[in-house]
Amino acid sequence: MTIIAETASRAPPAVAAKKVSDKTLWLLAPGLLWMLLFLVVPMLMMVYVSFWTQTTFKISPILTVQSWVTFFTSETYLSALWTTVRIWLIVLVTTLLVGYPAALYVGLFVRNKTTQTVLLVFCVIPFWTSFLIRVLAWRPMLGKEGAINLILQALGIINTPIEVLLFSELSVIIGMTQIYCVFMVGPIAFMMGRIDQSVIEAAQDMGAGFWRIFRTIILPLTMPGVVVGAIFVSVMVLGEFATAAALSGRKVNLLGNIIVTQVGSLKWAFAAVVGVVLTILMGIVVAALLRVVDLRKAL
Amino acid sequence: MSAVLDLSNVRKTYGALNALDGLDLTLPDNAYVALLGPSGSGKTTLLRVIAGFETPDAGSLTFKGNRIEGVAPHRRDIGFVFQNFALFPHLSVAKNIAFGLEHRDIDPVTDPKILHTRVKDMVALVGLDGLEERAVTQISGGQRQRVALARTLITEPSLVLLDEPLGALDANLRGRMRLELRAIRERCGVTFLHVTGSESEALAMGDLVLVLDQGKIAQAADADTVYNQPKSPAVARFLNCYNLFDGTLSGNGFVNPLATFPLGGAIPRQSGQPGYAIRYDRIAVRPLDEAVANDEVRLEATFVADEYSGAAINSFFALDDGRVFEVESHLSQTVPAALQPQSRYALVWKRDDALVYA
Repeated sequence: MTIIAETASRAPPAVAAKKVSDKTLWLLAPGLLWMLLFLVVPMLMMVYVSFWTQTTFKISPILTVQSWVTFFTSETYLSALWTTVRIWLIVLVTTLLVGYPAALYVGLFVRNKTTQTVLLVFCVIPFWTSFLIRVLAWRPMLGKEGAINLILQALGIINTPIEVLLFSELSVIIGMTQIYCVFMVGPIAFMMGRIDQSVIEAAQDMGAGFWRIFRTIILPLTMPGVVVGAIFVSVMVLGEFATAAALSGRKVNLLGNIIVTQVGSLKWAFAAVVGVVLTILMGIVVAALLRVVDLRKAL
Repeated sequence: MSAVLDLSNVRKTYGALNALDGLDLTLPDNAYVALLGPSGSGKTTLLRVIAGFETPDAGSLTFKGNRIEGVAPHRRDIGFVFQNFALFPHLSVAKNIAFGLEHRDIDPVTDPKILHTRVKDMVALVGLDGLEERAVTQISGGQRQRVALARTLITEPSLVLLDEPLGALDANLRGRMRLELRAIRERCGVTFLHVTGSESEALAMGDLVLVLDQGKIAQAADADTVYNQPKSPAVARFLNCYNLFDGTLSGNGFVNPLATFPLGGAIPRQSGQPGYAIRYDRIAVRPLDEAVANDEVRLEATFVADEYSGAAINSFFALDDGRVFEVESHLSQTVPAALQPQSRYALVWKRDDALVYA
């Protein structure tokens, strides 16, 4: 009896599972095909090309590790790698420092939904202008005779213009923070909005002050937003080249800038090496960030 | 019994709406108080004002002898159990319960041993043994309710406010939690203010039943008094067991558009709003031609349908003005004759059974 019941109850789910898996396959196919053709294949190609032999103006498919050796023995390239990591970390921190309080305010302190939306739209408005214009607009702001220096001088706070504001690592960081901050604000504000107001009231009612509530309730509940924001910012900053090119006066060389130069001088194999290094770096960063929070559980 | 909380002339308006309209209220110490109010009567506002989440526009709140209008919610020593429980979704059952002790501003408990013991005691009190390490998303509705209660009780507040605490539970569980809540309160010896929109819940649970109507306490009495002697037609309406008539008192009768009901010997109650109320279960249904005694009132109506609920049958009649008139017959006393839908019957009750308001 038991056996009959078991086989009888097992058969239909198997059929159902097969049907579902057929459907799943068809739904997945376009996406998988796309990813395969335009993500996996190019990536494999990039790895492959990085082992090709590079002569001054020519590249030939004879396998060699020459480009890799050059990258890891050259002071210039290793320092570019270090600069990239350093600027990425600094920008990650600055976007978080600027973005989190903004998201906290918009998501939690503004109770009116319309005001909330309006404020978030304000964050996005700068994105209606082109990326390059947004970057270049920092020049008249930060320059020796730029707005900030002129104002500070007019107010008598400084006598000589602050030169470090433009064409330095600082200007790159300022520019990147402004450009990528919104990618931090968005996900965090979203998570803030999902916190039930009564949960915070409950914590209040149980005697906790604001900072306690922030540390024990708000911060843990918005961590997924921080992680998603950090992934956005990381991926974009690690691949950056335009801000550094426009605001550093060629003093700051990121891996992205090196790729641009190498491709410009037709050094494909070497550009591929840098590309692979950059991809691995991003992979490590994203994997590490995903370790912080179980996103599937949190969302 | 001494008073734990005293509200005097409390007002709170939202735009044109008077949520609380000069409300006076006194809660006794160590008692289960049920607050009955229909939706929109201001009951949630009242709780939020007491808890400190809303500031009243006027009036005074005295809690254990101290004025608390300006005191922040986390310094009031008043517990609040939210309707949706508002558990901390990222913390385990034990961490949820420990939260108040661990993180309160005043005198937090930092010794993990004491904390553990206190949590364990509280878990035992509300009957959550074995679930301490579960996530609050992995337990049932009734268990969540217990966590919410335990989390509030562990800080030992002198007053616990419960905002429709049983509203989110299914009917079966609701019945069990009623007894449970009363038992837990007795063990803690504090005052519970239980807000509900259900008259049966309010009557079953409250040592003292408060009825809230239009931002004021319309009646404060024990369950029996509220049920049998509602202070006004509005209170009678919330109780859901009275047929009500509007009209005017004239001589020895109550005049309303359908008929004039002769009055018995009782003196009409002063309520500010004239009305006539007769309880569902004090009415007899008779054929039209049956005689009426001297002390009875008779009204004709059309039978529509009835509803069987095991111990009783509720019959619904349409009055001549279209309103519904309800009769409840307890099957343990009489087995009523089968009624023909769309036929007319005489509804008869004793003059003295009716409540008359002037």
